[in-house]
Amino acid sequence: MELEERARDTGDNCIACTSCVAVCPITKANRNYIGPKLVGPAHNRMHFSDEADYEESLKLCSNCKNCDITCPNGVSVATLNMLERAKYYKQHPEAHTQVDQMLSHGFDMADMLNKLPLGKTLANLGMGIGKAFGVLDMMGLAGKRDMPAYADTYFRDLFPTIKQPKSDKKVLFFPGCYIDTNDPEVGVAFVEVMNANGYEVIMDSRFVCCGSPLVVGGYLDEARSHADINVAVINEYAGKGIPVVACCTSCSLMLKAEYTELFAQSEMQQAGKNVYDSFEFLAILAEKGQLKQAKSSDKTKMIYHAPCHLRAQGLGLPALDILTAAGIDIVNADAGCCGMSGSYGFRKENYETSMKVGENLFNTIKESGASKVVCDCGTCREQIKHGATKNVCHPMQILAQAYKG
Amino acid sequence: MSKSDVVVIGNGLAGLVSALVSADQGKKVTLLSYGAGTFPLNSGLIDVLGYDDAGKTVKNPIEAIASVADGHPYKKIGVDTVKEALDYFKDIVKSEGMPYVGSADQQQWVVTGVGTMKPTCLVPESMQGNKCFNAGEVVLVGIKYLKDYYVEMVKENLAEILGKDKKYSVVEVDTKLQGGRDLTTRDVAVWMDTEAGYNDFVAQLKAQAGSGKVFVVPQVLGTKTNVVYSKIVKDLGCDVVETTCMPPSINGLRLRDVLLSALKKRGIRVIENAKAEDAEFSANRAVSIKAGGETRLQTYEADKFILATGGFYSGGITMRDFGEGKEGVFGCDVVTDCEEATWANKQLFSDKKQGFALAGVKTYDDLRAIRAGGIIENLYVVGRNLTGYDFCFEHSGNGVALASAFKAAKA
Ligand SMILES: Cc1cc2nc3c(=O)[nH]c(=O)nc-3n(C[C@H](O)[C@H](O)[C@H](O)COP(=O)(O)OP(=O)(O)OC[C@H]3O[C@@H](n4cnc5c(N)ncnc54)[C@H](O)[C@@H]3O)c2cc1C
Repeated sequence: MELEERARDTGDNCIACTSCVAVCPITKANRNYIGPKLVGPAHNRMHFSDEADYEESLKLCSNCKNCDITCPNGVSVATLNMLERAKYYKQHPEAHTQVDQMLSHGFDMADMLNKLPLGKTLANLGMGIGKAFGVLDMMGLAGKRDMPAYADTYFRDLFPTIKQPKSDKKVLFFPGCYIDTNDPEVGVAFVEVMNANGYEVIMDSRFVCCGSPLVVGGYLDEARSHADINVAVINEYAGKGIPVVACCTSCSLMLKAEYTELFAQSEMQQAGKNVYDSFEFLAILAEKGQLKQAKSSDKTKMIYHAPCHLRAQGLGLPALDILTAAGIDIVNADAGCCGMSGSYGFRKENYETSMKVGENLFNTIKESGASKVVCDCGTCREQIKHGATKNVCHPMQILAQAYKG
Repeated sequence: MSKSDVVVIGNGLAGLVSALVSADQGKKVTLLSYGAGTFPLNSGLIDVLGYDDAGKTVKNPIEAIASVADGHPYKKIGVDTVKEALDYFKDIVKSEGMPYVGSADQQQWVVTGVGTMKPTCLVPESMQGNKCFNAGEVVLVGIKYLKDYYVEMVKENLAEILGKDKKYSVVEVDTKLQGGRDLTTRDVAVWMDTEAGYNDFVAQLKAQAGSGKVFVVPQVLGTKTNVVYSKIVKDLGCDVVETTCMPPSINGLRLRDVLLSALKKRGIRVIENAKAEDAEFSANRAVSIKAGGETRLQTYEADKFILATGGFYSGGITMRDFGEGKEGVFGCDVVTDCEEATWANKQLFSDKKQGFALAGVKTYDDLRAIRAGGIIENLYVVGRNLTGYDFCFEHSGNGVALASAFKAAKA
């Protein structure tokens, strides 16, 4: 059912104070971007304007949400930008390129490769060769980067082989594409941590990509169908009292809040209440005195990067709190957006902007003297690997290790 | 969430200073932030009291404070506390590499973005308009294509104020930042952060530099602290004065950055995008508040709460019908203090205060909040939430925010 309070109407709350422009990392890095205020909010307020009227630079927004974090008036700036972009592509379907298609539908490629014998191995090899021969570049991808390699075994195939103690306390894991197909170790760590806390992890194969890359690519109708599928599953489990937990902060933000912002449906809002970011879930356990206390003997100096999509969730930095309490030597980088924003930095035309945005973070990491970077977001980790250091992992992996002593 | 000694709600100047002073008292502090406060708009100058009730310029702010009307926040805060707060602020910004000059008993002057001069109390080194008074020649720096800065107008207005016995000249800098959107002060400040930009800027001004001269520039001397300012006065060999500017205010953002850096050094926990919605009480004490994102709220417990939610402008107070003001977190009593007819003075630049500006949360003299006519023993109200002053009329916004925060945190 359509909600009465809709994020898409929040453009009217904008008083044009320019706070969003002042903190927008893309505006700072790229003079061609007019700034968030004049894309979504401004056009959103022009209820009577020509439908075909749009802001040329709307493709430059990365949906990082620093505008939302800074807006004093609750305008869903980034979502308004995404809706503007969707409207544009609806009117200009021909403007979608092959790269848009590919980056927004990474899950299709990943599924296909999983079905082919040696598919992933050959794809990884191919990406390496493609990079070397400039093919990625020719396709419109950022040829200076490594594309994230596919894991030998996806998490969906790994999961059934993990032996878990049975428990009445269950959580449904939403792995998200990156953990499922590129970084399944994070999923394994999640299962270990949940098991250590007396929870059994379950999976449901009906889940599809959260839709974040579809939204950013301007494929809003497809994103809506993903939302409908996921929301139905989430609500089914809500009925059984089983919460849904995601380790990827962009997935958790999408499931918790962005579906509702984009599509304004009451069942989405209801589903959001049954979704937790993984460390949010652990922090709630800690608050109730139910989190198993970890005592780490790891003396490695670490630095934490908070993904913008976690900061936007308004719950603080629970991973940092929990790792600190476990005795890990870890500091907060507090160096702003990494510049990757999901698929944004993988585009050739965004590469330079993306790296410029990340510069402050890269320097902070390099100057920190830390030998390990910890971050909850997969594509942030890709960016950090490219710009600063290879030694990056998800906080869940550190916690799982700490439980082992 | 583990309990804090102090929870500060709101992240404008009042909130950030409340958190800093509390932490310096040895307290464990959590700050709930939403938006960025008025920093991206406000000049980052510490106006203490620019004009008295009759609209006359105040020469000695601290002296004038002693005679403000009853009910004015300064009356509650007290002259000595205001002085201490100003010293505290100067120490903090200095230790963060962005020293402010000025003292409680003497007004400073700042050049505005349109070439008028406004009084303030503490000013960052880069904005000391006073330096124009003694200069023999004022060199006005324009920037080609810069939006909202009309150097000829600035020149005319300044000449009017400073007198015709000085020389005035104009020089235009070309940043060569072409294409893309309009050029803003922030774009130029970002360019000035780079070595190439800085060198180009200096090279274009060098020929005009000389003793007895002062350069008046729009607010473009870098995005961080006063590093660019310190360097450029040396490299040019004469004084440089930044004007105030249209939003985004570079200096407001510089101030925000240095205060956030000070917060970080003190290990203060900042929860971003966490709007406080609700509070729980036990008898006449607040026990906890609920705050968070759209989906779910978290509980934050503390012994003491400081409410720095910024009044009407920042949503700390709302009002649907006249006289029905609401404070959204604790449900404190809101004073309207004017008649409906005088609520808004349509003549924006007249010599009368705005009725709505005087509205705010009702407090005792020690800044503790009043709710349903009774006290909330451990809740203090600071900054723009306070009743009884029109910051815009009297130029006291950041002064009240700073001093009330200092007092509440020390209490
Ligand atoms: C355009 C403009 C220019 C100004 N220029 C000057 C100047 O040159 N000199 C001067 O001295 N003063 C100036 N002022 C006044 C000055 O900005 C304010 O008086 C003073 O800074 C107020 O500080 P504050 O911390 O009380 O409020 P604010 O800066 O408004 O901060 C309040 C913060 O609390 C947040 N908040 C609100 N509700 C909640 C909630 N429920 N939970 C969590 N957070 C919440 C808000 O989002 C906001 O970030 C100016 C003001 C404006 C609007």
